[in-house]
Amino acid sequence: MKKKNSIDIIEKQKYTKETFIVQILITIAALFFIAPIGIIINYSFKTKKELYLNSPLALAESFNVNNYITAFKKLNLLVTFGNTVFYTAVSVAALVVLCGAAAWAIARCKGKFFKFAYVYFVVGILIPYQALFLPIYIIGYKLALTNTRIGIILMYVATGMSFGVFIMTSFMSTIPVELEEAARIDGCSLYRTYFSIVMPLLKPAMATLTIMLTFQIWNDYLMASLFVSGKKLKTLTVAMQSLFSQQASDYTTALAAIVISILPLAILFICLQKYFIKGMTVGAVKG
Amino acid sequence: MRKKSLDNKIFLQYVSLVLPGMLIFTVGLIIPLFMAFRYSFTSWNGMTKEMPFVGLENYKKFFTDSYVRDAWAFTIKFTIWNTIIQNVFALLFAMALDSAVKAKKIYRTIFFIPCLISALITGFVWLRMYSNILPKFNELIGAHFNFLLFGSKETVLLGLLIANNWQWIGYWMLIYLAALQSVPLELYEAAKVDGASRWKQFIHVTLPMLAPAFTICIVGITTGSLKVYDLMVSSTGGGPGRASTSIIYLIYNTAIGGRQYGYGSAMSISLVVVLLIIAVIQVGILRKREVQA
Amino acid sequence: MKIKKLLSLTVVPTLVIASLTGCGTQTEAPSASEVTEAAPKEETKPAEEGKEQEKVVLKVLAGQSTTDAGVEDMIDEALAKKYPEITLEWECVDWGKDFQPKMQQYMQSGLPDIMIGKAQDVTTYGSQGLLGDLTGKEYISKVLDAALPGVTLDNKVYGLVYNALYQGVYYNKQIFKDNNIEIPKTQAELKAVIDKLNGLGITPFATHFVDTWSIGNITMQFAINDVFNKTPNWGDKLREGEATFTQSPEYRSAYEYNKLIFDNTWKDETFSLEQTEADARLVQGKAAMKVSGSWSIQNFLDVDEKFEFGIFPFPNQTGDSKLIFEPNITFMKSADSPYQDAIDKVFEVVTNDKELALEIYNYTKTASMLKDVTPTFTNPSQADIDKYASDGNIVDANTGNTQLQWGGFQEENAKDIAEWLQGNITIDDALKAADARKENSKP
Repeated sequence: MKKKNSIDIIEKQKYTKETFIVQILITIAALFFIAPIGIIINYSFKTKKELYLNSPLALAESFNVNNYITAFKKLNLLVTFGNTVFYTAVSVAALVVLCGAAAWAIARCKGKFFKFAYVYFVVGILIPYQALFLPIYIIGYKLALTNTRIGIILMYVATGMSFGVFIMTSFMSTIPVELEEAARIDGCSLYRTYFSIVMPLLKPAMATLTIMLTFQIWNDYLMASLFVSGKKLKTLTVAMQSLFSQQASDYTTALAAIVISILPLAILFICLQKYFIKGMTVGAVKG
Repeated sequence: MRKKSLDNKIFLQYVSLVLPGMLIFTVGLIIPLFMAFRYSFTSWNGMTKEMPFVGLENYKKFFTDSYVRDAWAFTIKFTIWNTIIQNVFALLFAMALDSAVKAKKIYRTIFFIPCLISALITGFVWLRMYSNILPKFNELIGAHFNFLLFGSKETVLLGLLIANNWQWIGYWMLIYLAALQSVPLELYEAAKVDGASRWKQFIHVTLPMLAPAFTICIVGITTGSLKVYDLMVSSTGGGPGRASTSIIYLIYNTAIGGRQYGYGSAMSISLVVVLLIIAVIQVGILRKREVQA
Repeated sequence: MKIKKLLSLTVVPTLVIASLTGCGTQTEAPSASEVTEAAPKEETKPAEEGKEQEKVVLKVLAGQSTTDAGVEDMIDEALAKKYPEITLEWECVDWGKDFQPKMQQYMQSGLPDIMIGKAQDVTTYGSQGLLGDLTGKEYISKVLDAALPGVTLDNKVYGLVYNALYQGVYYNKQIFKDNNIEIPKTQAELKAVIDKLNGLGITPFATHFVDTWSIGNITMQFAINDVFNKTPNWGDKLREGEATFTQSPEYRSAYEYNKLIFDNTWKDETFSLEQTEADARLVQGKAAMKVSGSWSIQNFLDVDEKFEFGIFPFPNQTGDSKLIFEPNITFMKSADSPYQDAIDKVFEVVTNDKELALEIYNYTKTASMLKDVTPTFTNPSQADIDKYASDGNIVDANTGNTQLQWGGFQEENAKDIAEWLQGNITIDDALKAADARKENSKP
């Protein structure tokens, strides 16, 4: 019996006829997913004339990087790209630390305050900040936060908290209490316990959160257009919007800009795929 | 006595861990929510100093406004379809990639890349897909599929669903994939010993183990879809006519373009209430099932 | 504790990036941009006559049509030559989508010193007392007289109109010539042209109705020649209850022209097509005419720099329709800005520097609204425009746009028209819906 079992398990990984059918189906699906990307990339090398006159399916006539050069200039790329990286990195870092701390406290304490805190945060997932942008802005300028770097970062933190606390609290049950108790007996302060014991254990969860938040913030348009519309503070998305607006005509540049904006994240994903999946594993396995 | 004060100190320390986040969250999101609540009783246009108080007028209008009704109908349809399609396909893809197929990494990357693109651009890309690129495809193979999905009331929902799912399936697929890969093989072994068929294994072993992933995916997809806005901005513009006007789109259009900030605020408030109700129900049900599982 | 450390750690990259951004902006002299960063606004007093060298930083909100993007660098450059002490801090947004939200924002926190919008913004914001009076300034005398009424409220001028877009029916000259088609002046003549084109298998009109703004725009073109030319205060009458959409045969016919166009275009596709595609098809001869505006010219010339096109006004009921010009880039100043003199200097530069003006007009492919500057870019429709202008057959689009608000009114009406064209509602429903929202119609 035992033998047969292990064969079965191997069978799960064996390439059968069924697997072949699955392979074909998934290849068709993959084509559907990759085609638009391929078309964008192809377009981004076309001249305006080619875009208008040639068949959309035709390959670009030459490897023409002019669109990229124009996009680079029009988007003020060094600045906007730097801004986007900066806002994303700082807000995500702040969010991960703050959400982890809040979630830990919520998971470890049974008091009414913490129950309330959990509900309070999680309700926030439901608040469409898109619909509240004017009051958000009014608060922002009253605190002198508009058109400042710290302002947009605080706003990303504010809008990301709920989701972060939700995810982090779900993970918290995977963290053994024993280590913390040991630390406390050794006389560690709570803060030290958090930073030196809990945070390392939270790493996978933090990875998940980092991934999710990075996408959100990297691609955010509305908040960035509200808080950092000055030329030097703009993000990539805000700068790109002007290429897509009404009566726009510069599509080839716009398409090059799209490729530029996807590239860093795509490379990041391809390089760090293993960690991505690992990070997500924790989130999905222990909810 | 000493123990109590120590407990108290620790309690306060724990509270201090929650407070910074709570403070930012309150200032950045909750206070604006209350401000919107206040505006919802005014006929403020979003510009002037004075905000004339109109009582419940905006809410009365809300319940009789056919645009609101249509926008809700669209948003709900969009959400329901999205939740179904995205979950089913994400799970199917995940299962396919969990089998013995070759070149898994490549598929995984391909499925995932669309969600690196902002929804604004996704909308734009699909507008061009439907109007220029796919019809050319028709010519190529001599078929007559109607690809002009954004062009009519009947098909615009389908068009947007395709675009939205194209973007997000890969994301949720990763979550399911992760969950699938973490199902201990012993469980399958045990099921096999019991003589369970493949299907039974799926129902009794795989699905229960996926419960936490289901919670995350369903809540994520539903709340995300109910808030859909960016996708239409650069594609259908809420049209043709008003056929793809989502509730957030309507709110933005009413409050900003239409300069009826008070009325727009009333719409936001009702959206928050609806979202709240849905989420309470959802989380309640899903959590219960998880516990049982 | 660690949070603090983290914050302080993040401050360093901020500074690094901040310094990088300073260098990255090529158009600004490095020294000027450093001052921008260093000097808080409160400390820089308004430049006075005697103290020429005092640095001033002016905030500018520019609501741009896409054709305008890039103009800001040209202005910066010209300004740096004449008044190096004045620096402009630009915030460029899409006029159609983001200008009004931005203005709403700034009305809460204080307006920027200079705002660049469209002439119709003068009505919206000037009537709230937000704009500075420009009457009698030297630079206003440089502007074409025809552009002044649109930016005048209670006999005071609040806007400096810089360029204009022409709106009407753009047509493919080759197709018209090859088939001996005359420019139609009346509705009957237009119908004959349409029939002839249909007979030849040429789509009469290029359209892109996925863009609601396009429906709104052409409807306003029709209304200007059929409604507002006879009753300039039709919008006021609507609000006073003396006129309605349902009972105005003129407005009804303006709506019906939409149907005429819809019946003579690529019906199945139009609600999926966006502007560039429609423009390209006109150039390629797949359609003969397009009700549009100068914003299409850049596209035309991108596809084929030798494309021969002309323009004529869409024929109205009475056969006397005029070509429409829309004042576009319009400079306004904040009434509350402490830097009134510096703002005047900026306005002086944009009106006096002919090289700058020429550069801008040629770049944006738009018509000049300054008296002594004529753009030199090739515009095959210029001859037509000159002909209508010299006969006095041009009319300001603002006659309509200052009567009926765009967002919340014209735009909503356009959506109704879309629904009507798609057969979801009747024309009467569409007209009734317009009447029902008349409280939103005041600009």
